[in-house]
Amino acid sequence: MNQFFLHHKQSKELEDFPHILEFAVRKNTSIQLNSLGATTSESIRIYYVLEGKFEWVINDHQHILYPGDLAMILPGKTFQGKKDFLDIGTLFWIQIQLEKTEDNKRMVLGNWSGLSGRESAAIWRVLQLNSAPVLVKLTEALNILQSIQNELHQQQIGYTTRVNHLITELLILIARQSTHQNNLRRDFPQTFMKLEQALRQNLSHQWTVEEMAGMVGLGSTAFTEKVKNYTGFSPLNYLINIRISEAIKLLRKEEENVTSIALETGFYSSQHFSTTFKKLTGYTPGEFRKRNSSKK
Amino acid sequence: MECIITVELGTNAVRVFAFDLMGNTLGSTKGSYPTFHSDPDYSEQDPEQIFITMLYVLKNFITEKIQPKKYKVHSICFLASMHSVLAIDANGVPLGNVITWADNRGKKEAQELKNSGIGKKLYDATGTPIHPMSPLVKIAWLKKNDSERFDKTYKFLALKSYIVQQLTGEYVIDYSLASATGMLNIHTLKWEANALDYAGITQEKLPDLSSVFTTPGKLRKEYQNSLGLSSSTRIIIGSSDGCMATLGAGIWSEDKATITIEDSGAVRVVGKQVLRDDQQRFFNYLLTENHYVSGGPTNNGGVIFEWFAKQFGDFEKAFDVEYEMENLIHEASNVSVGSEGLLFLPYLLGERAPLWNPNARGCYFGLNIKHERKHFIRATIEGMLYEIYSIGKILGEHRTISGLSVNGSFATIPFCTQLIADLYDRPVSTIKNSNTCGLGAFLLTATDMGIYANLEEAAKSVVLEETYNPRKQDHNIYMQYFEIFQRLSTKLEDEFEQIAKLQ
Repeated sequence: MNQFFLHHKQSKELEDFPHILEFAVRKNTSIQLNSLGATTSESIRIYYVLEGKFEWVINDHQHILYPGDLAMILPGKTFQGKKDFLDIGTLFWIQIQLEKTEDNKRMVLGNWSGLSGRESAAIWRVLQLNSAPVLVKLTEALNILQSIQNELHQQQIGYTTRVNHLITELLILIARQSTHQNNLRRDFPQTFMKLEQALRQNLSHQWTVEEMAGMVGLGSTAFTEKVKNYTGFSPLNYLINIRISEAIKLLRKEEENVTSIALETGFYSSQHFSTTFKKLTGYTPGEFRKRNSSKK
Repeated sequence: MECIITVELGTNAVRVFAFDLMGNTLGSTKGSYPTFHSDPDYSEQDPEQIFITMLYVLKNFITEKIQPKKYKVHSICFLASMHSVLAIDANGVPLGNVITWADNRGKKEAQELKNSGIGKKLYDATGTPIHPMSPLVKIAWLKKNDSERFDKTYKFLALKSYIVQQLTGEYVIDYSLASATGMLNIHTLKWEANALDYAGITQEKLPDLSSVFTTPGKLRKEYQNSLGLSSSTRIIIGSSDGCMATLGAGIWSEDKATITIEDSGAVRVVGKQVLRDDQQRFFNYLLTENHYVSGGPTNNGGVIFEWFAKQFGDFEKAFDVEYEMENLIHEASNVSVGSEGLLFLPYLLGERAPLWNPNARGCYFGLNIKHERKHFIRATIEGMLYEIYSIGKILGEHRTISGLSVNGSFATIPFCTQLIADLYDRPVSTIKNSNTCGLGAFLLTATDMGIYANLEEAAKSVVLEETYNPRKQDHNIYMQYFEIFQRLSTKLEDEFEQIAKLQ
């Protein structure tokens, strides 16, 4: 495959795509020391190996990539060559810039992606929480990258829409593949345990069923049925269950005020927390604390 | 109309059943909770999560299934897995998670104790095998390795004691569950001083002992409101899952045994005498103050077949392990008895009875070039059941067993039940009500209410459903393989030790 390099500041081809920072194929024929030292990515970087063997450290974990393998480095994650240089071989890559939400709190894909807000958030969460930055033998990704390349070079009618669609498709492919690779679709209890950990670590997040289902690589309907079968609860009720259990632990400590406990454990408000808590336990959070805390 | 609710705090889930006063099941529900393994030897659960899960499930069950049918809840009886330990401070606040029966952190302490003179004495006095599962060992471990938690501890509770305390305010433990702590003298029904010395505690650090029929106190007003129960609903402390499964299987006379295989498994008998065993191979737990449930537990029950299915099933349907297991059993039934000479030692999780060797490991033996996948499937099931048979065989040194019943999801698969009948060369019955744990708790409660004159009468009410008769010819073939199985299990002891070290 021929080498090329498109950069958003220099290349006319990318004029209509402010979110594409780089798009390139590079054949590295010699080793240059310090050519790939430690960096922290600010954008989404996707690398696809065409030839050679690459030894990288992504987010402090070592990975060896062979032709057909794809690596995705998310904003805030560290990335470097194992020996601080770029190995010999050929790489295809694309770098995509994210946008901040209006309240500046979260990173999101821009409007260009055509994804609905919910799906965009779900895909983004799956990508963030899945711990596999390297996907093995993802040759479908090469087809998509080549199609993007063709669209950009030929610029036929409708190409901007096509390119954005293809990038979206690539992200969906990676999200799905990473859940499938993470979860072998054999062991639901183990997979559910990983999800439970993710929920506990991000309890204040307003989880949707789509996001949770995406994490384990199932559709929402199949996921809901599986969870119901396995835990006896619907996904959202299971989540409430964890929220109340964590809230109880915090209430017993008598350090935090009830409102911040409510928000920390993912309730919309202290009102919402109080009603849910009382319905289940018969106590308001305040009464419960009075009766059960460590410092009486 | 009145009904009885049983609440089983199991290893992975809380299971709730309702019975009418005739013993008919009115409905059931469950809610699962996770087990955390922060270290491979650690096995912990979140007490608050279990409490909330139980409350949630119970509340929904009562409002959706019981009240619409106009039933009034007369009693709620609790039963729970054995051997759990939860430390709490003086205000009843948990100090960390519950340590479950599967936790192995005290394996070094257990090994040392077992081989010492005091270990033997403690086993004879308490009936609980010296093993890391035992709360005795766990508390001693905490004293040595987590002195901060140990020093802050006001009481060491069983999970069930914690749940019941939340509901009623009282710290109690029934004799049944207490007899699985390794600290109760099962002959005098008092906490065993030597055991408390070893654990480094006094009896004030443990909940109050009570009969399995005890009502520890009234349900707190707040929970009456949230659960929609009246102040007259009685809470019954109940027993352990193992004892209740035995009662619910209708086992009362000394010539009967019951085999339970869920994730793990056990073979149990009931009697007025404990089984004394110099090799410390059996447990002797109290069912009531003068009845013992004795037997041997295996780590390697249905969980092993599930492991096999996960590794070698096709999984055309994502995550559907039940469907895979069905297919595999079907395939296994097409292989001849004895798997054409392929043998399997099922010790993937180490083993309790009869080897009591945490370093035992799994093994396929006798492979030849003609063996196919289907032989592995059948050999795996046969190996698991050879293990169940080997427990029964050593029980046979103490009791003459003429009849067997099976319960638990794995043992009641018809293919497995028939195999058990063939191995034991005895008729094996299944029980009409497959939920023997809940049924046992119902029988306990109903006896307390005077519906049955005593537990013996209650046990007699259990209806057996179907009997599998042994096939002599198959028995003879199995026995040839079993002999090799048994020899391999003991012969490989050194090699188990060596390979475990490398893992």
